[in-house]
Amino acid sequence: MKTNDKSGFGISRRALLAGAAFGATQVAAPFVITARAAESIKIGLLLPKSGPYAAQGEIGHNGAQIAIEDFGGKVLDRPIDLIWLDESSPQTTQQNMRKLLDEEKVVAVQGGVSSGDVLAIMPVAERAKTLLMASGPNATEITGKNCSKYTFRVDLPNKVTVNSVYPLLKERGKKWYFVVASYAWGIDAYNQMKDVVVKGGGTVVGYDQAPLGTTDFSSYLLKVRQAKPDVVYVGLGGTDLTNFLKQMKEIGLTKQMALSAPIVNDTDLWAAGPDAAFGIYPKIWNYTGAHLAKRSADFAAAYTKKHGGPPEAEGWQDWFGMTSILTAIKETKSTDSAKLVGFLEEHKFEGYKDAPIFFRNFDHQLVQPLLVAQVKDKITDKYDYFDIKSEYPKDPAALNEAYGSQADIGCTFKA
Amino acid sequence: MTELIISQVVNGLVLGFLYVLIAIGLSIIFGMLGIVNFAHGVYFALGAYFALTLRDTLGPWAILLAPLGVGLVGIVIEMTLMRPLYGKEPLLGLFMTFGIALFVEELIRTIWGAAGHPFNPPAWLSGFIVWGPVLVTKYRLFVLVVTVMILIALWLFLQGTRYGRIIRAGSRDPEMVSMLGINLKRVFTAVFGLGTAVAGIAGVLAAPLWSVVPSMSEAAIMPAFVVVTIGGLGSFGGAVISGLLVGVSVALSIQFWPAASTAVMYALMILILLVRPRGLLGESWERFE
Repeated sequence: MKTNDKSGFGISRRALLAGAAFGATQVAAPFVITARAAESIKIGLLLPKSGPYAAQGEIGHNGAQIAIEDFGGKVLDRPIDLIWLDESSPQTTQQNMRKLLDEEKVVAVQGGVSSGDVLAIMPVAERAKTLLMASGPNATEITGKNCSKYTFRVDLPNKVTVNSVYPLLKERGKKWYFVVASYAWGIDAYNQMKDVVVKGGGTVVGYDQAPLGTTDFSSYLLKVRQAKPDVVYVGLGGTDLTNFLKQMKEIGLTKQMALSAPIVNDTDLWAAGPDAAFGIYPKIWNYTGAHLAKRSADFAAAYTKKHGGPPEAEGWQDWFGMTSILTAIKETKSTDSAKLVGFLEEHKFEGYKDAPIFFRNFDHQLVQPLLVAQVKDKITDKYDYFDIKSEYPKDPAALNEAYGSQADIGCTFKA
Repeated sequence: MTELIISQVVNGLVLGFLYVLIAIGLSIIFGMLGIVNFAHGVYFALGAYFALTLRDTLGPWAILLAPLGVGLVGIVIEMTLMRPLYGKEPLLGLFMTFGIALFVEELIRTIWGAAGHPFNPPAWLSGFIVWGPVLVTKYRLFVLVVTVMILIALWLFLQGTRYGRIIRAGSRDPEMVSMLGINLKRVFTAVFGLGTAVAGIAGVLAAPLWSVVPSMSEAAIMPAFVVVTIGGLGSFGGAVISGLLVGVSVALSIQFWPAASTAVMYALMILILLVRPRGLLGESWERFE
């Protein structure tokens, strides 16, 4: 490559430097972290700032901040310092995890919307013996065969959510079509739901994997249309689910068949709009409804007041995750992860959901009731999209059982 | 099976026109100014966001005004940030456009938020046409027609008018054109504005189909680069052929091997570059050889 210096118009060296400097500050801007007080307790946050799950990342971050504000910004009389780095791919997330641990010396890390990213940072947390609060991933193996002594999970495992919606979907017919994101979460969702469907006498009429971040699903939808399934089960989230819904609407498939997913985020449906949104989904939390417990209702109110709109599910997850980390620090009067892990394995959190919720000591899964939510027939509000059909399990006594016994889970912590 | 393949091929061709539309602006700016514009995706995103903001007050006029607004942003950026880099090391231009891409995407996130916004097609364009095994939505047909119209208009403008001749001559030998007494600075600014405005049109038209989120720029930039690279940098004809080729390849891969549907366009690009390093219809360019 040779430079072309025959150009008819010149440029001063100074202008060039100014331009380059301006460009450089712009490149650096997203990574600037504000100066912090020396004595602060640092907690890392890994949530997406870009890519398909960026909306969840922003709302999750807002939720975590509200938890810190609930504590008055302080724990053990030291200011809490939340450091948010990007979660955009397993590689980047792992690098950012190391940065949080090695450079920022955080006492704990929270985050992970994508199961692939969380599976990549779990071994790092384990080696560093640092608490990882996995607030948003759903792949079953995170608190299953890949479980870790230092990882706790707030979000729901696919293995549990598939059972919550199956009875309603079964009524719609036997022919199922699967379109799932081609990574840990989507593939696990297919495996879990397929087992339930086949056992119940249903058939899989199609199974496609779509790369994460697919914008155009029209070719997938042609296949779906051709197969005429009774139920479409999509392991898609973020902009992928939004795109899928918008394009279903485009070719007239909206409400022509049942639609479900392993989990749902409000933002994905808000982005699709009231005309395109439909389906029956397992939902970890909803900002409004009769199920809302006192503390969580207060959170929803504080969030709405601060941000001008209600929190979506990820906001609650990161608010609860951060609340549990801070509660552990406060109660143990320590930032030592070994002590925090010990506390979280034993503590019952009351007032957050209908029943007391707790992390199980043998797999570190948060055991909690979940909602079976159906998109309203007629949506009139900008945010209120769901009718809550039921809670799962219906009987709080069956809660622990719904998440599987120690033998089913297959989790053994490394000593 | 044949029916499904026919329906996928047609769907791929229609999708291909959307790729062509996204790539045209990139092709204009590269072909005429020699700038590899990494910020192309953010002009695309700005088109959608401007339309989103204007539609509440202006209704359908927003669709026309949004791309003009994007063109204006392009003009300002060209005059302040791009112009000083002409004739310098091409790498500087790459860095600059990359910086602009990061900055504007962050700006979009700050102004409009990270969450997506609903954006429906107009009612008269909703619905679809079924013809044997083929299904095409009215909206995508509309996008196809607009793309063809833009291509024809640009071709007529560049080949048939005096301005077009100045632009084409200026892109190859700026010194000679300047010596003929033509103010090339202004011409270059106009071309940059035109390229970014076309990116804005693509963004407006893609908004009802794809998620309107800050990262939509990333979703647009990669296919655009692949289409322009396969087609031959700066060649409209090449961009059309390669856009359709990419569209059909993606659609057929979804039929037979969906998990590879994103990789297929890159594989195609590698293959074509191995056989024809300048792309399908790329011409030799003295300043880039």
